[in-house]
Amino acid sequence: MIEVQNVSKQYILSKQQQKELQTNEASVFAVKNVSLTCTPGKVFSLLGANGAGKTTTLRMISTILKPTQGNILVGGESVLDNPEKVRSKIGFLTGSTNLYDRLTPGEIVKYFADLHGMDRAMFEQRKDMLFTRLNIHEFSKKRIAQLSTGMKQKVSIARSMIHNPEIVIFDEPTSGLDVITAYSIIELIKQCRQEGKTIIFSSHIMSEVDLLCDDLAIISKGNLIYADTMANFRNQYAHKSLTEAFIDIVKESGHTIPA
Amino acid sequence: MNTIIIVLKKELKDTLRDRRTLISAIIIPALIIPLLLIGVTKLQTSLMKKEGDKKLKIALIGNSENYRAQLEDPGFKIFSNYKVDDAKTAVTNDSLDAIIEFQPDFASNVDSLKSGTMNLYYKSTNLMLYKRVSEKLEMLKTQILDERIKKLNISKETLTAFNVNKVDISTAKEVLGKTIGGFLPYIFIIFCFTACMYPAIDLITGEKEKGTMETLLSSPASRFQILIGKMLTISIVGLSAALMTIVGMVVGLKFLPNIPQDFLATINDMVSAKFLIMLFAMLIPLSIFFAGILSATVIRAKSFKEAQTMVTPMMFVIIIPAMLAMIPGVVLNWQTAFIPILNIALATKQIIAGTINLAMYATIVFSLIAFALLAAFVSYKQFSKESMVLK
Repeated sequence: MIEVQNVSKQYILSKQQQKELQTNEASVFAVKNVSLTCTPGKVFSLLGANGAGKTTTLRMISTILKPTQGNILVGGESVLDNPEKVRSKIGFLTGSTNLYDRLTPGEIVKYFADLHGMDRAMFEQRKDMLFTRLNIHEFSKKRIAQLSTGMKQKVSIARSMIHNPEIVIFDEPTSGLDVITAYSIIELIKQCRQEGKTIIFSSHIMSEVDLLCDDLAIISKGNLIYADTMANFRNQYAHKSLTEAFIDIVKESGHTIPA
Repeated sequence: MNTIIIVLKKELKDTLRDRRTLISAIIIPALIIPLLLIGVTKLQTSLMKKEGDKKLKIALIGNSENYRAQLEDPGFKIFSNYKVDDAKTAVTNDSLDAIIEFQPDFASNVDSLKSGTMNLYYKSTNLMLYKRVSEKLEMLKTQILDERIKKLNISKETLTAFNVNKVDISTAKEVLGKTIGGFLPYIFIIFCFTACMYPAIDLITGEKEKGTMETLLSSPASRFQILIGKMLTISIVGLSAALMTIVGMVVGLKFLPNIPQDFLATINDMVSAKFLIMLFAMLIPLSIFFAGILSATVIRAKSFKEAQTMVTPMMFVIIIPAMLAMIPGVVLNWQTAFIPILNIALATKQIIAGTINLAMYATIVFSLIAFALLAAFVSYKQFSKESMVLK
C-alpha cells in the first residue's frame, strides 16, 4: 500500500533560474498538496503531461526526493523517517534504459540483489525466473553496451524486480520500445498485479493505461486534478476515448492545450 | 560496511573494464615511464658522446703563432686564415664551431707578465663545445703560469694560498634523495591525481548523466554508502597509479645505462619494506583526498564534458605544490608539514635520503588524514543535495 498524504515539493529558485523561467517568484511547486492511495493487487495509473509532476511524485515515493511538505507511507513505512526501509520494499523502473555499459545483465542483477541483501539461493531462483520470463538468458553474458534498447529495458526490469518487491513503480516503462518488448512488460505488470503487488504505472501510452489500470489519477502543473477508480472514470466518460477524457479533464483544470 | 563493499566491488569491476582508466592508471606509469626514462637517458648519452667525438673547427685570429702548437688537439681542426667578420658568419651558419681571437697586445702582455685577453666566439647551443675549448685554454693558461713561476724563480706553493680538499660525506642515499627525491613525488602525485580523474567523472557524473544514479538511489544503499564505495574505488585507482609510477621509475632507474654500482645498490635499498610502508601511509590519505575533492567537484557537472572542463584547472592547483618541492630552499618544517601535496613531496625526498624526522612524518600523515576526511565530508555534503545527484 502507498499512501501519499498531502505532499508538496517546492524548489527555491536562484536568480538565474528565475531568469530562465521568466518569473519573479522566489520558489516554484513541482507538486502541490497531492494525496493518493495505491492499494495492493491493483495497478494505479498516474497520468499527466510532460512536466506535470508525475516523475517528481514517483521520485518522492521512492525516497530519491524528499517532500517539502506532507508524508508518504510505503508499506507502512514513512519516507521521511525510514527511507532505507522504504527502498527495500520498492522496485523502481525509470523510463531511461541506461545501465552500466561494461557489466553484463547477470552482473547488474547480482549487484542490485546484493544491495537488497538477498541470499544466493533466493537470488538464483528469482534470477532464473525473471531471465526466463523476459528471455534474458540468451544475452545474459553479453556486456550491456552490446545490447539493443529492448534488451536493456528487459534487464532494467529484471534489475528492479529481482528482490521481489511488494511495491513496484513503473515510470514510462515502455517508451521507445518495440511492440514485442512492450507486450512482455505489460504481461509482467499483469503478473505483478496477480501476485498482489502494489503497482504505480506512469505512461503517455493511453492504450496501455486502458488495458492495465484499476485506479487512476491525473496531475497537471503539480496539482492533482482527478483521482478515482478506472470503473468510475469509464462510467463518467463513457462516450469518450481515454485520450479525449484526459484532455477534457486537463482543460477543465485551466491548463491550456494547443489546438 | 557490507553495502560499501558491495558498491566498491561493483565499481572496481566496472572501472577496471574501462580502457581509459587502465591506460592512465597502469599502462602509462608501468610501461611508459621506464621506457621514457631509459630512452631519454640513452638519447642524452648518445648525443653527448656524439658531441664529444665531433671534430671542432676552430679559427685562430690575431697573433696566435706562439700558441697554436699548444692549442692543437686531435679533436680540433684549426684554421688560421679567417678574418673576424667572416669567421663570425661561418660560426653563425655552422661551418665553423668557434673563434679564438687574440687581442693585438696579447703576446706582449703575456710576455711582460701582464694579463692577455682573448675573445672566444661560439654558440651556446653547441652543447659540449665550451667545455672542450675552455679545458684546452685552461691548459694553455696553466702552461703560461708555470713558465712565469719558473721565470720569477718562485715556488708554485707561493701562489697557492691554500688547497681545499673536498670530501663529500653525504651517503649515496642522500645524493639519491636530492637527485630523484624531488622528481619522484612530482611524478607520482600527478599520476595519482590524473588516474583519479577518469573514474571520478565516470562513476559520479557519468552515472548522473546516464540516469543510473536515480536507480541506485532507489536501492536500500544510503547516499553515504554509495559515495564512500565510489570514493574508495577512485582512491584505489589513484593509489595503484602512484605505486605503478614508483615501480616504473625504480625499474627505469635500474636499467639506466652506465649507472654506478653504489647508486644501483642504493636504489635497491630504497625499495625496502620500510620505504614502501612509509610512502603507502601517506599515499592512502592523499588518494582519498584527491577522490574527495574530485567527487565534490564533478558532482556539480551535468555532463562528462562539463566535468572534464571543471577538473582540468584543478591539475594546476595540484602541480604547483608538487613543483615547489623541487625548488632548492623549500624544506620540510613545521609549516610546510601542513600543506597538502607539498608535505608529501618533501617528506618523500627525506624518506629516500633517510633523513626524515619521525615526529614530522607522523604529523604529515595525520594532517593528510584530516584533509582526506575534510574532502570526504565536503563531498558527502554535495552528494546529499538532491539538485546535485539528479540530472
